[in-house]
This record gives sequence, structure tokens and C-alpha cells, in this order.
Amino acid sequence: MAGNAIGVRVTGNGVGARVYTFVMRQKAFVAIIVMLAVMLFSPRHFYTAYNLLDMLNSTSILLILSFGVTLTIIAGGCDLSIGGILVVSGILSIKLQDVMPMELAIAAAVIFGVVVGFVNGFLSVHQKTEPFIITLGMGLLLTGVAQQLTDAHPVPAKNPAFMMIGNGDFHGVPNLVMITVVCFALAFWLMRYTQFGRNLYAIGGDYEVARYSGIPVIRTKWIAFVISGGAAGLAGMLLSSKLNTGSSIYGDLTALVVNCGVVVGGTSFAGGIGGIPQSGLGLLVFGMLDNVMNMLAIRSYYQVLLKGLVIVAIIWLDCFAQKRRREFV
Amino acid sequence: MAEIAMHMGRNRVARAAQAFFRDYLVLVMIAALVTITAIVEPKFLNPRNLTNIMRQFGPLMMVSLGMTFVIIGGFIDLSVAGIINLVAVVTISLIGPLGQIPALLTGMVIGAACGALNAAAILTSGALTQAEALFLTFGMSTVFSALALLYSGGMTMHFWDIKTSKSMFESIGAGSVGPFSVSFVIFLVVLLLLWIFQTKTTEGRAISLTGGNKTAARLSGIRILRSIFVIYVVCGLMTGVGAIVLFSRITTAAPVIGAGYETNAILSVVVGGTTLKGGKGSVLRTVMGVLLVILMSNCLDLLGVSTYLQVVTKGAILILAIWLDNRKQV
Repeated sequence: MAGNAIGVRVTGNGVGARVYTFVMRQKAFVAIIVMLAVMLFSPRHFYTAYNLLDMLNSTSILLILSFGVTLTIIAGGCDLSIGGILVVSGILSIKLQDVMPMELAIAAAVIFGVVVGFVNGFLSVHQKTEPFIITLGMGLLLTGVAQQLTDAHPVPAKNPAFMMIGNGDFHGVPNLVMITVVCFALAFWLMRYTQFGRNLYAIGGDYEVARYSGIPVIRTKWIAFVISGGAAGLAGMLLSSKLNTGSSIYGDLTALVVNCGVVVGGTSFAGGIGGIPQSGLGLLVFGMLDNVMNMLAIRSYYQVLLKGLVIVAIIWLDCFAQKRRREFV
Repeated sequence: MAEIAMHMGRNRVARAAQAFFRDYLVLVMIAALVTITAIVEPKFLNPRNLTNIMRQFGPLMMVSLGMTFVIIGGFIDLSVAGIINLVAVVTISLIGPLGQIPALLTGMVIGAACGALNAAAILTSGALTQAEALFLTFGMSTVFSALALLYSGGMTMHFWDIKTSKSMFESIGAGSVGPFSVSFVIFLVVLLLLWIFQTKTTEGRAISLTGGNKTAARLSGIRILRSIFVIYVVCGLMTGVGAIVLFSRITTAAPVIGAGYETNAILSVVVGGTTLKGGKGSVLRTVMGVLLVILMSNCLDLLGVSTYLQVVTKGAILILAIWLDNRKQV
């Protein structure tokens, strides 16, 4: 009798609860399926290898950024300075080519990102300031640096070899897509199979518990910020190469969009939850949204509106899920 | 004995001085800034330059005063840029068809309504941390900006296109009462009202307690949800007022004029000494913070520093202020 009652209750809860949990966990996946379904009924050439690869190609920079940011968010922080790092290292990678060979300039751009990440880590992990506001300030500072470096004009790159990094392809697969896949594999391995990655999850889950279990919390979390900065440096270099120009305007909203994208994927600001594949899906939602809206020829102001609504809706759902968890535990 | 007493006395003076420097660092910085600039560039003390500073006071001050309540309440609002865009384009377009006072009131109501929407998003989702509020309000900012773009069609609207009377807005922008500009008088009135609201009313005290410790505030019977609603509505309303002062001063409204106000407002509030952790702070401190930010850009302008380097300076000061604020707590 009792068993039956429980059984009834479970099935009564079952479908709705299960659908609810699935939608909450896989928001990004659901969003992508919805968009794919919408495009089935569109007369435009959405389902072509060219368009799909192009979509991946144009999202690749954001994806590389997101892999770094995911580390910091899983560790219970976040990184809003990536927009600033993106533009400054992009400009550096072009400007430094005047005084040094291309390879060194690229390395310098990435190292710049690493250095900024180190400073971010010092301020937010070692000195324990609020990471989101301190990195926001860092982003503001770096935007100013980028404007000062270029006088707010775009700087063209002169080296064709540099341009080919971001625009070339290998048997039809764009270089950027391949670089993104390599970054994805690296980040995935780091988070899934190394002690460092597992420690990050522990730190994000509960900082104090992690500390008492003997994890070097400060060093580990600090390294997450360094990696995030390095990834942003790499992405900035690739962006400059892809556009063949360095400019101070690209970073404006990038940082917030990437951080939101990571949360869209299912990595939560609470820390300790999520992963690299989820972030990839989350950013793809934004990439695909852009692509779909362009395909459907939606006016650009409505595109801004839709994007804003999607951001609000997804963050709202993320918070709402946490509220339920808080109430029911 | 006497030696010990003297020692203790000196210690107490030293400690009081230390506390003063820690709490009122911003005043020291303002004094240093004014002295250095006045020596290097005597033009700084010209009456015309001082009037100019007084006029710049308006928009950033209004927005920062509103932001103060959000930060004291332990939250943050990135949507002020979007609210400024929306209020400015809607208000300026309504001056013609509705008349001046209805347009002004509509602008303020829209600001407050945007704030209420922020609060609704935060309260319904149960976003109780600053980071969550930051991203939610960022999304709201995008939405408000998009609405402003759609409403105005991306066009800039000018005062001289308005055929009917717009004397009130012109006097807000450029008029003066005695030696003070009208916007300065508005600022004084608003400051008085907000100061009374913050220090003398139950709701104002409740906001500080909510910011200090939400759980403790809730357990001691404070309706924290109402406090959160109030802080966002106040911030939206003040941002609306700021938008009106802003477009009156520059006599144009474009759907992008609010860009950068969110970081500047947060910067002013934090530099003034209101802590980002919530609970402590005051509108008077924010006035000092805004004064420092405006004086700084005025001084850097006079000294011929490029706008880009000024952005760098602002970022550096923001980081420094947060870092110092954080050390103070430990």
C-alpha cells in the first residue's frame, strides 16, 4: 500500500519533474534544438556545411574565451577583464610586429594575457576582493590602454602570413575551428582528468572545506585566473589575425556576453558545477542565435533586444534553479 | 606614569589620524588634487572653470546617488546606462506632443518603472548575490538600450527640432539661480531628500541592515524583499532624473548617451567610501566620490591628458579603491 502510494507520487511527479529538471540542466541544449527546429521550416540555406562551419568559425573566438572563463567560474569567481585583454593583446600582436618577428609578437600577446591574469589572480584570490568588480575595473583600464595605443583608430596588419592564421583553412576546415578544437580538448582534459581540475571543482563547491582538505586553494584558484588571461590573450591575437586589424572597440560587450554564455551552458555562478562542454554549448547558443537572426533577416535593433531578453531569461532561470535548491535542501 | 600617559595620548592621536585617513581618504585626495592642479595650472581656479565643474555635477551625481542605495543594500545595478538611453529619447520626444511637465514626469516614471522591472527580475528569481544581480541587470541594460534604439529608430534628437516651448529643460541645462546653476540647486534639493530618506526613515535604515546581513535582517523582522524593491526603484528614478539633466545640458538625446555611466557611478560610490559588501555608506560620501571623479577629469583635461589615458586612470583608481576598501574590512 505504502509502496503503491509512493509509486503513485513518483509517477505523478515524474513527467513534469523530469522535464523540468532536464530543461533546467540543459537550457543551452534545449535552446539549440528549438533554433534547429525553427530553421527546419525556413526556406533559407541554414543546413549547409558551409553555413554551419561558418557559424562555428565566427563563434570560435568566443569559444576560446569561454574555456578560460569557465575555469574561473567553476572555482567560484568570474573574469570580466577578458574584453580588455582581448583588444589589448590583439593590438599588441599587430603593433609588435614592427619591432620583432611575427612569432615573438604572437607570444608576447599571449604572455600579456597571462600577466594580466596573474594580476587579476593576485587581487581577487590572494587579496580576496570581489572578482567580478575588480576584473570589471581591470577591463575598463585595459580598454583605455587599447584606445591610447591606437588613438582609437583601427590598426591594419601588414604581414600576409599573420592574416593566414585566422583566415586560412586545412582541407576546407578553417584554422580557427581547429585551434578551437585543440583548446577544447586541452581544457576538457585539464578539468576532467587532472588533479588541478578536480581541485578547482572542490574549491568552487566549498572553499573552506577544500582548504581544510589540504588543497592549495589560493595557488589553484590563482592559476585559473592566469589560464583565463592567457586564453583571452590567444583569442585577441586570433581575432586580430582574422580581421587583419587591431581595434579597441571589439571588447565592449564581449566579457559580459562570454560570462553569460558560460552560465547559459550550465556552469553556475555558485561555483563547483559545470564543465567545458557545457560552456561550449552555451556560447554556441549565442553564435547560433546571431546566425539564425541574420538568416531570418531580423532588423539589428530587434537582434539586440532578443539577445538581451535571452540573457535575462537564462540568468533568471539559473538563479531560479538555485533558489529552489536553497529552499528544498 | 606621565610618560605612559603621554605615550598613550600620542598613540590615540596617531590612531585617530590613521582612522581619519582611512575613512576620509577621498577628502585628502580631493585636497591634494586641487592643490597640485591649482599650482601647475592656475586656470583651474577661474570662476568660469568652477562654473563648468558645477554644471558637470548634474547627471553623474544623480545616477551615483541612486546607485549608492543599491550598493548599500548589498546589490549592484549595471542597467543605468540602458535606463539613461531609454528615458532620454522618450522624454525628449514627448516634450512636443505632451508639454513639458507631463514629459518630465513620464521620464521619471519610466526610470522608476525600469528599476521596478530590475527588482522584479531579481526578486522572482531569488538572485541574492551581487554577481547574479550584476548579470541580470546587464541583460536588462541591453533590453532597455534596444528599446531606446527601436523607439528612436537610432536617430539623435535635438532641442532645436522641438517647436513648442522647452524653457524648463533649457533652464535645467543652462539656467542659474543667483551664483548657482539650476542643476546644482536640483542636486542640493535631491541630496537633502535622499539624506533624510537614508538616515531618518525606517525604510532607509532597513536598507542598510539588509545590506549588512540579509539573514539577520530577515530574522529581525525586516522585510528584505521590500528593501530590495525600494533600492532598485530609487536607483531607476534617480537615473531617470540624471538622464533628464544630461540631455538638457547637452541639448540632444541619442539612444547611446548613457554608455559608461554604470562604471562611473560605481566608481564614484566606491571611491567615496561606501563599501561594496553592503551595509555601510552614505549619500554624503558619494557626493565626495563624484566630486573627486569630476575634479579628476577636469584637472586631467586642463593638464592636456588624453581622454584615453583618463579611462586608464579611472580603471586604476577603481581597482585601487576596491582593494583599499577590501583591506579596511580585514
